[in-house]
Amino acid sequence: MNAFSRQTKSWMALGGVVAVAAFALFGTLPTLGADAGSAAHSAQEVAHGAANHGAADQGHAAVSVFSLKQIAHSYLTAYMFCLSLCVGSLFLTLAHHLFDAGWSASIRRVTETVASLLFPWMLILALPIIGFAWTGNLHAWFKINPADDHALDVKKVLFNPMAFTVMVPVLITVLGLLARQIRAWSIAQDKDGAAHWTSKSRKLSAGGIFIFAFGVTLLCFLLMKSLQHQFFSTMYGVYFFAGSVWTTLITLYLLTMWLSQPGRPLEKVYFKRQQQDLAVLFFAFTVFYAYIHFSQYFLIWNAALPEETFWYVRREVGSWKWVGMIILFGHFFVPFLLLLNQDIKRNMSVMIPVGAWAWLMQYIDMTYNVMPVLHPEGLHLTLWDPIFWMGMSVLLGRLFWSEYQKNPPYPLKDPRLQEAIVHHEVPAPGASAAH
Amino acid sequence: MNSNRSKPHGLLAEFHTAADIFEAAMRCRDAGFTQWDVYTPFPIHGMDEAMGLRKSPVGWFTFCGGFTGFFTGMTMIWYMNKFDYPLVVGGKPLFTPLYAFPVSYEMTILLSAFGTLFGMFFLNQLPKFYNPLFKNERFKKSTDDRFFLCIEATDPKFGTDVTRTFLTEKCHAAVVELVED
Repeated sequence: MNAFSRQTKSWMALGGVVAVAAFALFGTLPTLGADAGSAAHSAQEVAHGAANHGAADQGHAAVSVFSLKQIAHSYLTAYMFCLSLCVGSLFLTLAHHLFDAGWSASIRRVTETVASLLFPWMLILALPIIGFAWTGNLHAWFKINPADDHALDVKKVLFNPMAFTVMVPVLITVLGLLARQIRAWSIAQDKDGAAHWTSKSRKLSAGGIFIFAFGVTLLCFLLMKSLQHQFFSTMYGVYFFAGSVWTTLITLYLLTMWLSQPGRPLEKVYFKRQQQDLAVLFFAFTVFYAYIHFSQYFLIWNAALPEETFWYVRREVGSWKWVGMIILFGHFFVPFLLLLNQDIKRNMSVMIPVGAWAWLMQYIDMTYNVMPVLHPEGLHLTLWDPIFWMGMSVLLGRLFWSEYQKNPPYPLKDPRLQEAIVHHEVPAPGASAAH
Repeated sequence: MNSNRSKPHGLLAEFHTAADIFEAAMRCRDAGFTQWDVYTPFPIHGMDEAMGLRKSPVGWFTFCGGFTGFFTGMTMIWYMNKFDYPLVVGGKPLFTPLYAFPVSYEMTILLSAFGTLFGMFFLNQLPKFYNPLFKNERFKKSTDDRFFLCIEATDPKFGTDVTRTFLTEKCHAAVVELVED
């Protein structure tokens, strides 16, 4: 009964988010018509830039905040943030099976459940994005004839409305079904404890990691990178992946810490050693993310080809330059130097703020990718950003929690669970006398 | 010569299982011994805590090495490309941390590794050419299937008979031998 009402509430909340997006979509159609009729697709950007300099009238500035483009871009930023948590969890689940890991067995149900949000929830949440794109509010190339744009013409196999409409839902579904299958086998193992479920999952992960790599790369190319379809970067997929796993690890760290408090489900299976290992992985991905993002920047900077540099040149205009600096220092240097010390990795008064900071950094990173298209003059936050970011996160958090509670909180009969539970806590001085 | 041989190095206790030596290590720790060590054929998880070892300070050597490496790289490239012999390459600025970064990053790793390795050697006083334990025939099994714990004579709490009793009765050592210097 309780679970049912929670499920209903989640559905209502999901309906709420989609309804806000749909309301925005239809509510501003007249504006859209006026825009489309008046000028080229960048007219609104220009108008917005003027509004920021105080040259435009009050009415125009107000429309731009409630414009469909603003809503669409804020929605996409929030979606990419949530997508990063789901694909990061899927990766950790696959990696667990691929490495035949023991230490992470007791926290695997958490990553399995987060990854399973991909289908159907993330699929449903992706539908407004497709709607925004079709109405010309997101990806400029939806309204450009490839014959008029060479950069689009050579990429039209991937960047055409039909391919987008088919591929985005299919990719999310495939990744989601992959996550659900592994989770289903894990839950089946809870009942009979047969080891063959583990080997099945391992085999699926071996193929699944390729599906994951191609799927995530294509998804972030289609959803985010193609906002500026002229851009080239082979690092982009792994760049999104690195940031995703980074954010997922600190989220998992805090979530499992909370779940292992006295009286909570992971109390008896999660120990400091695993907590330390998660923090070490988080630290590793701090470096990995910086390595990947720097490589992308450096190769483009060094080659200095205009078809690549324009992407970063646009991000050095106005306050975007400082956003880039925040990412450089906040996404890398601060967490890197902070987490060098191994004692810090278990210090909650440091790690909880680091977790909140990591969420902010990942959101800013997504903003840095999405928003300069809409606001070339600099960072321009609107009310939509926190609404969609928090709304979507809270919604998915609720869905996670209701899904998580339906099944045992950790893989009860996983053959490797024993390795996770055997912990090496040594009695403090004086305690050995009791033996 | 003879008097030199009779000086004890310490008491060597032999154990048959990892669990036994783990327990013994905790008892030695709690008994307040300071000059002692364990020798096992493989690493035993949690032994650091059982022995009451502090966190190794070798990380500071690593950090200092890395810090020096990073700024050496940056300074070197600034000195060569901007100060000593300015030369425009590919229309790029004479100096920017950007292109100096890969080299500085490699220097960071190199000097971090040096800091770690030589810091470790400095702290554990390696290489050491001689250790009295090597003369002991039983000790050779420490690389095979036996676990050893040695309390050295330099320990302020060391007393040949008292410590021997402690090792056999409290720590349940299988064999206890006096090793001479």
